[in-house]
Amino acid sequence: MPRFEELLEDFFYRPEEDVGALFDAGGIIEAPAAAAVEESPEEYLAFRLADETYAVRIGVVREIVKVPPLTEVPRSSAELLGVINLRGEVLPVYDLKLRLRLSTVPAPIAGPDANLAALPKSARILIVHDPEGDAGVLVDAVLEVVKLRPSTLEAPPRAVSGGDRSPITGIGRRREQLFILLDLAQALP
Amino acid sequence: MSTPSKGLSEFVAEATEILDTLAQDLLTLDERRGEDVDPDLLNGIFRAAHSLKGLAGMFGQDRVAQLAHRSEDLLDRLRLGKVELGPAALDGLIATIDVFQALLAESARGEASPEVTQRSQALADHLLRLAEGAPRAPEDPLAGIGLDPGVRAVLTEYEEHRLRENLKKGLSLWKVRAAFDLSDFDQRLQEVNAKLKPLGEVISTLPSAEPGAGTGIAFDLLFGTRRSEDELRAAVAAMPVALQRIAQAAPPSTASAPPPQGEAAAAPARPERRKRKRGTSRATGTPPIPERSGPAEPALEAAEPTLPAVDEESAALAPVTPLPTRTPPVTPKPELDASLRSLTQTVRVDIRRLDALMNAVGELLLTRANLQRLAETARMGGVHAISKLWAQELHRETRQLERKLDELQKGILDVRMVPLGQVFDKLARLVRRIARSAGKEIDFVITGGEVELDKLIVEELSDPLMHIIRNAIDHGVEPPEVRVQNGKPRRATIALRALQQGNHVVIEIQDDGPGIDLARVREVAIARGLITAVQADEMSVRELQNLIFLPGFSTARSVSQLSGRGVGLDVVKTNIANLSGIIDLHSTPGQGTLLSITLPLTLAIIRALVVSVSGRTYAVPLNSVLEILSVESSEIRTIERREVVTLRGQTLPFVRLCRLFGLPEVPLKRHYVVVVGLAQERLGIAVDELVGQQDIVTKPLGGRLQHVRGISGATDLGNRRTVLVLDVGALVEEVLAPERRADFI
Amino acid sequence: MPWKVLIVEDSRASRELIAATIEAIDGVRAFCTGSGFEALKLLPRHRFDLIITDINMPDINGLELINFVKKNPNYRDTPLIVITTEGREQDRQKGLALGAAEYLIKPFEPEQIAELTRRYLRIA
Repeated sequence: MPRFEELLEDFFYRPEEDVGALFDAGGIIEAPAAAAVEESPEEYLAFRLADETYAVRIGVVREIVKVPPLTEVPRSSAELLGVINLRGEVLPVYDLKLRLRLSTVPAPIAGPDANLAALPKSARILIVHDPEGDAGVLVDAVLEVVKLRPSTLEAPPRAVSGGDRSPITGIGRRREQLFILLDLAQALP
Repeated sequence: MSTPSKGLSEFVAEATEILDTLAQDLLTLDERRGEDVDPDLLNGIFRAAHSLKGLAGMFGQDRVAQLAHRSEDLLDRLRLGKVELGPAALDGLIATIDVFQALLAESARGEASPEVTQRSQALADHLLRLAEGAPRAPEDPLAGIGLDPGVRAVLTEYEEHRLRENLKKGLSLWKVRAAFDLSDFDQRLQEVNAKLKPLGEVISTLPSAEPGAGTGIAFDLLFGTRRSEDELRAAVAAMPVALQRIAQAAPPSTASAPPPQGEAAAAPARPERRKRKRGTSRATGTPPIPERSGPAEPALEAAEPTLPAVDEESAALAPVTPLPTRTPPVTPKPELDASLRSLTQTVRVDIRRLDALMNAVGELLLTRANLQRLAETARMGGVHAISKLWAQELHRETRQLERKLDELQKGILDVRMVPLGQVFDKLARLVRRIARSAGKEIDFVITGGEVELDKLIVEELSDPLMHIIRNAIDHGVEPPEVRVQNGKPRRATIALRALQQGNHVVIEIQDDGPGIDLARVREVAIARGLITAVQADEMSVRELQNLIFLPGFSTARSVSQLSGRGVGLDVVKTNIANLSGIIDLHSTPGQGTLLSITLPLTLAIIRALVVSVSGRTYAVPLNSVLEILSVESSEIRTIERREVVTLRGQTLPFVRLCRLFGLPEVPLKRHYVVVVGLAQERLGIAVDELVGQQDIVTKPLGGRLQHVRGISGATDLGNRRTVLVLDVGALVEEVLAPERRADFI
Repeated sequence: MPWKVLIVEDSRASRELIAATIEAIDGVRAFCTGSGFEALKLLPRHRFDLIITDINMPDINGLELINFVKKNPNYRDTPLIVITTEGREQDRQKGLALGAAEYLIKPFEPEQIAELTRRYLRIA
């Protein structure tokens, strides 16, 4: 798996470096096998939140950035951790763990009491496309790009999905490994 | 009534752009005479003529609209294959370019000479005759192939035509199914198109109606090609597409394959013709059509296969249908506006490019601030031992940089300025219509359309202004009969004015209606529970008048068609506040109402006071800061549970930013109070520390954070530190009128 | 909540005119686009109360958009007004056959579109 990591490393935004073109290249992983014309697997970006592995369609991810201290927005909901200034663009960053009830306190990454050291070293912010306005989401670690065939996706168990506005759209499976598929448009407040 | 020149220059600029495309594509078509016509090229020309027609219609440029309309008609028939694209049609179309140019040149000068009008009319008539050329024999090769009726149901007439053409030429027809994610399908489709286009023609792109899994979407591309299946598969091998053949490539059917003889026969004459057209018409700017009397041309078009090989002159002798010969010979006016220089000095720029430049200037301003600090330290002897001469030189250069940077900043701000007339003209077009359906007679008087504001502000203004004016028409002025009864002129006047005052622009909307019925306002506000009777008694006239800006307030006794469901002036007020503007209202009973909006010239770069509260840093736009006080805790008093301080004998409402924002409070003996003012309102905002002043570029929080209360945007103070910019207007509103808002958020 | 109306029309001039006309009806908010693709992207994001679409567009045509809307359970109840060009009888009939509620022939009077908008939004 080192190859994935190398490739992922290229995703990371470093200050003074423009990675906008990375996604356009399209060649993140090797071309699909010739037999797969009828059902092409779709690419997801897998990441960790608490102890669970989640995945979102790779198309929605704009870039991945290391976690800087954020600027708090007064009188906002707890899920909004703060704003990040990404090359002149001011974007909100949300705490997915609060949204998914994996945690009850917001991550301490904004304001004068920010303590970035409390986050795992691997923590990143995914900047995602969204029609309501692009946004950032904090994750504990970015894992890999996985390919999942649409036909192998399972519907989310009722207990997990909870209600029709659930951001969990399904479960992806690769051998023993489970990926909880998220619709970020629903997950963002 | 309006500012025609502004609107007109906008028209000329945009029309010139369209015309440039049109001309370029027509010339490409001309160069490829005798070759198979590229349907996309022809379709593109059609679209350009179509846009030109719409644009001219919108600006009341009838001459341009009429000629564009005729061109469009002809092009439409050409692209549908109803009329064949022969030399006559092509020449006719090419002739329009010069005439359009002449028309636009006159429009730009506000003229309309009879010569050009006549010339344009003659050409339009000519195009009409070309378009009426005999239709080709209908046949329907589509019937024979296995095309899903569901697919056929969604093809436009034009697409069906293209499908037929492909079949007639014996091409294979494929259905290419491609599935993508909703977020980027347009780019991915473009990639697929880029692979397919060199191999054939993408006739249609059908979004699959079957709901895709999750956020996916599938498309069926109808694709016609001569290439073999293997070639096709190879081309799209790396793409997530599936191929299905709809029709097999077949030898061309004898009925339709050979080109009409007339066309074939006319071919040898072409090179010569082309040379002539290039040599004379273009160079001298003389229109080619009117020279060779109009009626002859359609003959060539209409003369189908039976016509023997002839040159143009003999073709002219054999018109198929008798045509009126009264086409006025247009006097060729030498060099009539044939200049290749473009008519407009304007460059159209995407506002985002200007934003990017502005960002760069913002960063430079930060650098400048740092440099200034360094230079200052050096000059004062600072910490490092450096030569005095060197320090002076550094100081001088820094000043120079500063001046140039100011120029640059001003230049960019200037470029962003657009005349308010752009919005005013749109409003004028609406007023008449709205007035009519409201049964009102209104003179709409506009002044100050030339006053300029930042493009962003102008864009955001159109909705609130439309709303206000609609309100003025609907509620502000009386019906004609009532006015006459009251001894007023039958026609009401609504004036829309703009004037610049220093760094602000004031926009006023004034009507000569009955004014605001204060008793009625009071009644409604109490009835709706917006205020209590006691509160109402304490309110000044102005405060009572301003109640109409409260959410949920509407005095209309009947819900009229225009003001609909009571989306009220509160929305307008919010919109104006988002632009850092203030809205104010004055009404005189019996005489009318004046609503004024004060706006900053630009939102882009402002000077700000940087403050800190509970360890957080915020920026306060200096244009709303009146003064800064230092206040002992003991000087703070409470009136009706609200804190105030006394300033020069006057009571000043006072708010601690940390409490307002719910931040942990740092106990302090002494507060800095930033006194801000908007219109007549004053408010003291207590902060812990003053950090300094700085030029900032405010970036809107945008997207999902548009409605954060009390914050207008964010800015970068250097060192990658992002701070929020306070929305002073919103804070004043929030603190001074809590009872107005409490129930409505 | 305002009524949301999607206008799909590639001519900027007509688009703006339609938008201005229907936004003059109180409570109506127009979402404009000149591209069918853009329309496909907007559909899942908003609950439109009405769609007004042209037939001729550079990417997908208006008929395809109507078909897409009418076949999709999420959108099929949204009324659709199709704008066609004079003399395009065939396109018009196809539009109605696919489920468009109404058609307008260009050039039309702004009142006509305002009338239809009010009718389909059930604004008195």
